[in-house]
Amino acid sequence: MDVPIQQVIRPATIAEATALLATRPDARPIAGGTDLMVQLRDGRKHISCLVDLDGLGMAEIRRVDEGVEIGASTRMHSIAAASEIRSNFPALAAAAGTIGAWPIQCRATLGGNLVNASPAADTAPALLIAGAVLTAVSTAGTRPLPVAGFFVGPGRTVLMPGELLVSVFLPLAQVPPGCRLVERFVKAGPRREQVIAVVSLAGRAVVRADGTFEEVRLALGSVAPTPVRARRAEAALMGRRPNQETRRGAVQALQHDIAPIDDVRAPASYRRIAAAVLLDRFLLEAARV
Amino acid sequence: MLRRERAHVEEAPGRGPLGGHHERPDARAKVSGSTRYVADLALPGMLHAAVAVAPVASARVSGLDLASARAVDGVEAVLTAADIPGRNLVGVIFEDQPLLAREKVRMVGERLALVAARTPEAAWAAAHLVHADLEPLPAVHDPVQALEPDAPRVHDAGNLIRTFRVVRGDTARARASVVVEAEYRVGGQEHAYLEPQGCLAIPEGRQRITIVASCQCPFYVQHAVARVLGLPLAAVRVEQAPTGGGFGGKEDYPSEPAACAAVLAFATARPVRFVLPRELDMQVSSKRHAMVIRHRWGADRSGHLRFAEVETVLDAGAYIGISTVVAERANVSSIGPYHVPAVRVSTRVAYTNNLFGGAFRGFGTPQVTWAAEATMDRLARACSLDPLEFRRRNLLDDRRRRLCTGQSLRRPVLARECLERAVALAGWDEFHARPRRQEGPMREGMGIGLALYGCNLHHGGQHLDRSSAVVILQPDGSVVVRVGLTEMGQGNLAACQTIAAQALGVEPAHVQVWQPDTTTVGDSGPTVASRGAHASGMAILNAVDRLRKKLDPVAAELLECGERDVELAGGFARVRTDPDHRVPIARLAGEMASRRIEGISTGWYRSRKRRFDPVTGLGDPYEFYAVACHIARVVVDAELGLVRVTEVSAAHDVGKVIHRDVLEGQIQGGIVQGTGWGTSEELKLDRGRLCNPSFTDYIIPTAADVPSIRIAVVESEGPGGPFGAKGIGEPSLIPTAAAVRNAVVEALGLEIDRLPLTPPTIVEALGNRHPFAWVAEEERVRGRSEEVAAGR
Ligand SMILES: Cc1cc2nc3c(=O)[nH]c(=O)nc-3n(C[C@H](O)[C@H](O)[C@H](O)COP(=O)(O)OP(=O)(O)OC[C@H]3O[C@@H](n4cnc5c(N)ncnc54)[C@H](O)[C@@H]3O)c2cc1C
Repeated sequence: MDVPIQQVIRPATIAEATALLATRPDARPIAGGTDLMVQLRDGRKHISCLVDLDGLGMAEIRRVDEGVEIGASTRMHSIAAASEIRSNFPALAAAAGTIGAWPIQCRATLGGNLVNASPAADTAPALLIAGAVLTAVSTAGTRPLPVAGFFVGPGRTVLMPGELLVSVFLPLAQVPPGCRLVERFVKAGPRREQVIAVVSLAGRAVVRADGTFEEVRLALGSVAPTPVRARRAEAALMGRRPNQETRRGAVQALQHDIAPIDDVRAPASYRRIAAAVLLDRFLLEAARV
Repeated sequence: MLRRERAHVEEAPGRGPLGGHHERPDARAKVSGSTRYVADLALPGMLHAAVAVAPVASARVSGLDLASARAVDGVEAVLTAADIPGRNLVGVIFEDQPLLAREKVRMVGERLALVAARTPEAAWAAAHLVHADLEPLPAVHDPVQALEPDAPRVHDAGNLIRTFRVVRGDTARARASVVVEAEYRVGGQEHAYLEPQGCLAIPEGRQRITIVASCQCPFYVQHAVARVLGLPLAAVRVEQAPTGGGFGGKEDYPSEPAACAAVLAFATARPVRFVLPRELDMQVSSKRHAMVIRHRWGADRSGHLRFAEVETVLDAGAYIGISTVVAERANVSSIGPYHVPAVRVSTRVAYTNNLFGGAFRGFGTPQVTWAAEATMDRLARACSLDPLEFRRRNLLDDRRRRLCTGQSLRRPVLARECLERAVALAGWDEFHARPRRQEGPMREGMGIGLALYGCNLHHGGQHLDRSSAVVILQPDGSVVVRVGLTEMGQGNLAACQTIAAQALGVEPAHVQVWQPDTTTVGDSGPTVASRGAHASGMAILNAVDRLRKKLDPVAAELLECGERDVELAGGFARVRTDPDHRVPIARLAGEMASRRIEGISTGWYRSRKRRFDPVTGLGDPYEFYAVACHIARVVVDAELGLVRVTEVSAAHDVGKVIHRDVLEGQIQGGIVQGTGWGTSEELKLDRGRLCNPSFTDYIIPTAADVPSIRIAVVESEGPGGPFGAKGIGEPSLIPTAAAVRNAVVEALGLEIDRLPLTPPTIVEALGNRHPFAWVAEEERVRGRSEEVAAGR
């Protein structure tokens, strides 16, 4: 079946796009369309006008002071391949490289993944541990939105109607001298490829020379109404060495960071156990690398 | 990935194409996208059909409001049961299913009204606006509960549809020192054909109609359409459209959309195309049956089987369809290729308000094989024997040839040969000789699955076991072949082409096999039961024999030899005793044309009559059998519960290879589909509603999940069809999931009796052996949160 779209508009500038979105409540931005087209076909979204973001030049990955800026329309395959991302934000590169399969990665954008706000959005945990800051633009002006407060619930963000996400800023990790950085993204699902996460985890550990943690950041997907930072588990690890006792404590604390449910993909009990496994494996690896 | 043993199959010059691997005739058109499937077909004035369906599994229909549906722009017709010109009935065997519900709905997706409109969007929008007053009725969703006396009745006569049995010897008095019992819950499966169900109905007044349908049996469709329109069979022409996958899902089900499209086409006097959206297709079309299988099997101290008791319940869903036929096959296949002196099998078919059970590659055999092979491993362990040795002691062979029904298999019985070939390919001994890696969460295992498959139709379906072919020699020596069996991706065109080319001594490229059409060949029954190459091939050989009655005299005249000395080979008619004395077949055909000799002949095949007692289950349910052995190697993540099937070694008793690539394609495809069924494909139901009706959440294997596949082909001069060939379509799938299950059980050291082996199933089975089992406690303490935590 076709989708009930009457009109597609291709603005040439961001200003034109935001002006359109401000005046047409029936309009919605479309980037790669890999979420939106599916939802339109299923009848889960009712929109008659699409504003195509492709011509707005928002698909760049740029090194800026203290960080890297990624345009909202950057495709997953560019993110997965960019050396700037691979070396500085390996969890994000890995996450982008596991979204769907190659054809999807050639369409799917970072902005679309975030604004769609699925609890399973794979780039979200990676951005959470990086402390990313998003930039939103509307006719009312520009505002920064820390990713930590961006997601409100399944499919819901703090973005206001008519607001466009234009870029994502990722600050470079601070690694004190003598410390090393370990960053990973992993997901658990029902097969090897083309997996929508049953649980995903992004972890960043700054490990001191003596093997204790200077800092640990953890974020998970598909275990709560939004992607979540695991602050309690992080606190349980701070300053410690990832021996068995510490790992067990972190896994225990993690259970209070997450609130999974039973759904068609897995029961909550499995999600809790899988989250524990992914965390434990990350910590073991952090100790080893 | 695939290792071939090519050397021994290379064609010898002049031997013909049999067993070779020339290019499939349908390959290029399919790969290049020029094949036209139903959804690609359009006619001027064509309308699109849609269907209004019940959202609940059991209810009384107290009213239908069609006004808003009729008001949708572009809608040409909205029809209910009262508008059907013939009988309001679908179903192949039993008259329990209406085309459109009148008083009661018994399953989610039951049809209430039909819509035809100028666009598919308008048709579906109108269908969604059909308002039905449905008063909920009690429903039953577990097949075992359905058979209890106080269960809600799906149909007035009760939920037990039929019981099949095999009773041989006295299991109660069998002397067994080791007895195991188990209850297996085996889930269903979605066919996941690439092309959804669809057809195009083209009326000619109210006199006759043509249906172009994606289907496995144009004759079933013909009967169904004739019945709902009240037409004689001759007024209904069904042409099989190129069909993008069937796997059993297009055996009986296509009759339903075809009947809908036909009724709409007659009502509007316009062509009507009906293509099911994927989600609806997955909800309403037939599925592999879920089964509950109870076993009590015993062996003596020396590891020989003494008795086997099997009690199976099939979940038929709300209508019988062909569930009884599936049960009939499952029943006699319950024991596998083993020698057991005393057997008691009962197989009951139960109505429920769940998905519509039907044909699916293997036809009931994969489920009972999964259970039988699980029990074989259990018993082996109980006897302190390894699974290989235990099977060696119990397999049927040329000395012990009686299967559970008492039928004596014809020689050679190749079960042992298949087992040993697979064992060698898999490196079973090496694998088990070396110490297994045990550090870390990854566990390796290897498991065996063996299957005995009765080729062609069961005794109960013998009346359908016939087929028709037409062979037309063209004036240029090329050949048209029409058969009554269908190509649905499995390679039947290539098989028929090879058989005809071999018999006529021409190049395969000179033979064109066309899709069946009910006006060109006789009713040949369905393309199922791995009978495609067999049934069409036998009819082709018969047609070629008859054609030669006209061709040989002309050849003899040109060659100046006796008619009996004419031989067809390598593109020539030649003298058997003097092969250099020859004329090209093209010249011979030209000669026949100029002399106005009829270059067309028909062929017919029917299976031999057999004796079988449906009450005791004793006798010869099938004419001959194929054995298959798969050995799977797995790596299980014992913490996340993810099973990775790394390798499957498959040995198949195929009789004779007709086309090597088609054969290997079937084996590879069967293994992939069997792996999916065994590990990740799960039909998740909520009160009869399928919760995962799309490929987002119905998890079929991707290319990355496909194991490395090794194939051993066992040929023999035993019983079989054309040139001695047996079927391969289903034996290729039947043992895979069983082998995978046994490999996982070996890897983890615990029994798992539920299929599929998804990560949550495995983690649950691990219970307290899982290092993080304790975190699930947290869940129980904290209770459930309200919000949806996982979405797209
Ligand atoms: C087969 C398949 C597999 C998939 N697998 C995965 C997976 O493994 N992991 C995963 O996380 N996701 C997966 N997805 C989902 C999807 O591909 C991703 O979420 C993707 O990143 C969405 O990006 P898009 O550009 O296609 O978004 P679109 O569909 O174009 O847009 C999504 C939403 O975001 C809005 N939007 C887009 N850009 C902006 C912007 N700049 N400003 C404001 N609003 C905007 C749109 O209006 C829409 O509401 C899969 C999808 C498919 C079809």
